Amino acid sequence: MKELLRDAVLGSAWTRASFVTLCAVVAFALLVPAASPWALDDVDWNAIDQAPTAAHWFGTDGAGRDLLTRTWSGGRVSLSIALLATAVSVLIGVPYGAVAGLLGGRVDQAMMRVVDALYALPFVLFVILLVVVFGRNPYLLFVALGAVSWLDLARIVRGQTLAVRQEAYIDAARALGAGRARIVLRHVLPNVSGPALVYATLTIPGVILAESFISFLGLGIQEPDASWGVLISDGARAMQTSWWQLVFPAGVLAVTLLSCNVLGDRLRDALDRRDTVVPRTTVAGDGAPSGS
Amino acid sequence: MTRYLAGRLLASLVTLWAVVTVVFFLLRVAPGGPFDGERRLTPEVEANLRAAYHLDEPLLDQYGRYLGMLLRGDLGPSFRSKDFTVGELIAGGLPVSLTIGGLALALAAGLGVAAGTGAALARDGPRDRWLTFAATAGLAFPPIVVAPLLVLIFAVVLGWLPAGGFTTPAHVVLPAVALALPYLAAFTRLARGSVVQTLALPHVRTAIAKGLPTRRVVVRHVLPTALIPVVSFLGPAAAALLAGSMVIEEVFSLPGLGRYFVQGALNRDYTLVMGTVVVYATAILAFNLAVDLLYTRLDPRIRLGRTRLGE
Amino acid sequence: MPLLLVVFFFLVCVGVGGGGGGVGGPPPPDARVLRIGNGGEPETLDPHRYNLRLEETILNDLFVGLTTFDAHGNIVPGAAERWSVSDDGLTWTFELRAEGKWSDGHPVTARDFVYAFRRLLDPRTAASLAHFMYPIANAAAVNAGEQPPEALGVRAPSERTVVVDLERPFPFFAERLIYPTGYPVPAHAIERLGDRWVKPGRMVSNGAFVLEDWQPHAHIDLRPNPHFHDIDSVALSGVRYLPTADSYAAFNRYRAGEIDAIGDFPSGEMDWVREHLADHLRLTPLVSIMYLVFNVTKPPFDDARVREALGIAIDRELLTGRVMQSDEVPSPSLVPPMVPGYTSAVTVVETRGQRLERARRLLAEAGYGSDNPLDVTLRYISGVESKRVQVAISAMWKDIGVVTTLHHTELKSHFADLRQGDFEVAQAGWFGENNPEHYLNLLVSDTGDVNYGRFASAAFDALMDRAHAQADLGRRLELLREAESVGLAEHPVTPLYAVTIRGLVNPRIGGWHANPRNVHGARYLYWK
Repeated sequence: MKELLRDAVLGSAWTRASFVTLCAVVAFALLVPAASPWALDDVDWNAIDQAPTAAHWFGTDGAGRDLLTRTWSGGRVSLSIALLATAVSVLIGVPYGAVAGLLGGRVDQAMMRVVDALYALPFVLFVILLVVVFGRNPYLLFVALGAVSWLDLARIVRGQTLAVRQEAYIDAARALGAGRARIVLRHVLPNVSGPALVYATLTIPGVILAESFISFLGLGIQEPDASWGVLISDGARAMQTSWWQLVFPAGVLAVTLLSCNVLGDRLRDALDRRDTVVPRTTVAGDGAPSGS
Repeated sequence: MTRYLAGRLLASLVTLWAVVTVVFFLLRVAPGGPFDGERRLTPEVEANLRAAYHLDEPLLDQYGRYLGMLLRGDLGPSFRSKDFTVGELIAGGLPVSLTIGGLALALAAGLGVAAGTGAALARDGPRDRWLTFAATAGLAFPPIVVAPLLVLIFAVVLGWLPAGGFTTPAHVVLPAVALALPYLAAFTRLARGSVVQTLALPHVRTAIAKGLPTRRVVVRHVLPTALIPVVSFLGPAAAALLAGSMVIEEVFSLPGLGRYFVQGALNRDYTLVMGTVVVYATAILAFNLAVDLLYTRLDPRIRLGRTRLGE
Repeated sequence: MPLLLVVFFFLVCVGVGGGGGGVGGPPPPDARVLRIGNGGEPETLDPHRYNLRLEETILNDLFVGLTTFDAHGNIVPGAAERWSVSDDGLTWTFELRAEGKWSDGHPVTARDFVYAFRRLLDPRTAASLAHFMYPIANAAAVNAGEQPPEALGVRAPSERTVVVDLERPFPFFAERLIYPTGYPVPAHAIERLGDRWVKPGRMVSNGAFVLEDWQPHAHIDLRPNPHFHDIDSVALSGVRYLPTADSYAAFNRYRAGEIDAIGDFPSGEMDWVREHLADHLRLTPLVSIMYLVFNVTKPPFDDARVREALGIAIDRELLTGRVMQSDEVPSPSLVPPMVPGYTSAVTVVETRGQRLERARRLLAEAGYGSDNPLDVTLRYISGVESKRVQVAISAMWKDIGVVTTLHHTELKSHFADLRQGDFEVAQAGWFGENNPEHYLNLLVSDTGDVNYGRFASAAFDALMDRAHAQADLGRRLELLREAESVGLAEHPVTPLYAVTIRGLVNPRIGGWHANPRNVHGARYLYWK
């Protein structure tokens, strides 16, 4: 698995560039807000709605706040929501898929039928309703997004589990008297974790996009915090006069999504070459389908 | 066949019932009421309004009343649009959303299959690289960025197309294109991958080796097989298209369902939200059912009456 | 090449997809029709059930009350050609125009008005703004169901005379009557059609226009009412109202020439507009007040020192000049500065430095400092505009060591929570009438839940009560002025500024005069 990941990431110039870009995005998100002389809610009364200058590299927003700081602290928020939502989707999808795969038979059929039915549902409706009903907070947002993005993972994990279960060594282990829990821990999980990791990675851009949609409709992150979606939605409403308010956050979002997709494609291709489990598609948020 | 259909239909109805139930109770725990406005209401007036809309009854009675109404095809009065019923509103909004969404999906799937096939046939050549790159890049520019840009360029600066509203066919162009773009990218990638795989199948190789014209090979041997994953993505794509269509309807001021839903949710118009969810869910479940039927047609390996989960 | 096939496949798909729709709109309106961006979708066009300003705009064109406003927003005769008030200020007598007719040709009679006032206050109508007519004798009791609608103090001694008895003197009653709650409704149509009388094609009204078509979230079309008493002065051949909820979309459509007038555009585009659309820009200070309200029942905001410190730390000129940039009018008084005949005694004399100094001292006295900073949750209404203001305010509070958490919700939930007292400090606004009482009543302890902060001061209440009993306008204003000084000395609210409406109006439109009510009846407008 390790070699697979290494080859996939470093295999071509494109993927190398994407990997470096993603690392840079994460590093900027971590470092820039900390190093900037401006806090994300500091107002520069003399530079409201100002184009990029030496003092404000990305310009300022309509309230006079430094956009460099806000873009990258928005990155912190967007990336954290994406990571945490993905973690939630792993927490739901992996056990669900593993249970279905392990139990097999009718239970498996029933469980996968539920997944099939859920695929067809417009989940964004639920996320919006949840946000409206329970108020806007980032915790709810990532839990809700995670709770609707686990379907692909469940499918993959189930497939892997089915495959592993049929391997001879599981029978051997069972013959040796190993309990079910032991089999799961020692044999199933290690084999399932690689593909699960890859598909979890592929969930990230979908969640970032979904968050930006919800923020655009005015239901996202609360001020003074920002996310890329919030910044873009503000910027799109001022692009005629203040192009920098749209260009910088949208550019950073686009570069991040692009890198995620390039890297994700390569990882998936590498995985598909290794084994035969062919997933259907992903529908998280604005989901990109897998080119299987 | 009939049994399969009946089973699928039943499953869809159960799903629909589950959706209605979840949304109904979710809305009733929401803070704030449908009658809060920018000006105040006296307690007496609020009591009058609540009684008029049966909001003073026990929750389960309200739920039963709503299910009964649904069975009769009645979506009830709108809490906020007092001069219209939810049915009247949706009758106006559904055609708008169907037109934009259907057109966007058709555009995305049609052009996507074309571009994907083109790329796959020139695999690893410059055309393939550019198309693949464009498709990957296309995913990185969501409608929240693209739609306002399209309006600025084509409506405001160039003045070629209207900036909003829904009165003439020209009003449909920009929204459908903006909505279609990310899915066009998605369908292109999907189709390319699928065609590449199909080209490697023995019977296709044989056909090519026999020296048949490319066009004939593609039509006769490649597309029938390669379209299967494309068709199966139509269902989820239609569901996912919804999120984008809300943004699009907002940006272009379209009187569609997405706007009713967002406005209804924000204004706590319980009946309108319920109505839009019911219609959305019904439309998408029906579309999925249709896609499933198409899918079983296309793929001879799938036996009707059996689940297709064993893949 | 597979190109042909591909094109074919695409056409098939488009054919299938396009088959689902097919909404054919009406043909584009002719050149004398005015297209107005109205900021949102009306919930109803029943003048007794309406609740929103944007509904008022349309209703003003459809109906005319006893009194109405002219192109400059002044109160002028409407359905009544003259009126008189008794010396005790309690009895108002209106004489209706002889030529007043409904759009179906029926004459407008005094009985229509009696019917309308009773319908408005009948609890079964569930009119959300019924309290607008509470100055009428027995109105509150009728609305609460304690007395029958017939007990209401409105009479029709003859076909053309309407007499209204008031509960207490109310010198601003002629102004109160310009709102839709004072409009007549056609008894003959409502009795026949019930709730459906407001549907397009059926609706009967007595104003300059009638409702022709209403496509929800798409447009509302009005055409001139041939029976309107002053139809000869109506120049437009129709009005189309567009529900432009998103101000950026409205701005784009205005620029694309699809709308002739909009009442709002994104403030971020102000510089561009000043440069490129200077002759379209209409900045109208609205008679209104934006303010911060403190929940005086929640510690530490029960401490007047804390409220005062937060209030004086705000620099209104910085807000309006640097942040808003649309010529808003800063106001330390709760009464909008443009209200005629009223000079508030509440003013700001200290410099910004002195005020910050005093604010810090007040906070220190109340027990807050750098080791124990005051934590405030500031609630505001979702939107780019109000966000900028609240961000600026929290930055100003940062200067006196206050830590602010911002929390935004949709307009409706915002005011729902405020009315339930579920907030610490919140943005609020009040607009409407051009008289001081309309604003000062917000702080009276028995006003109900629009006294969001639950402020209660016996001294203030007593002064307001004396003012309400006073029929003489001069003495009434003097008492109101005194009451405001007493009330604001306890800082239950921090008034900020009067809103400026940022409109764009096609320069070819005539008859559009700036006025503090920001009302522009379509009957006064014309194409140059």
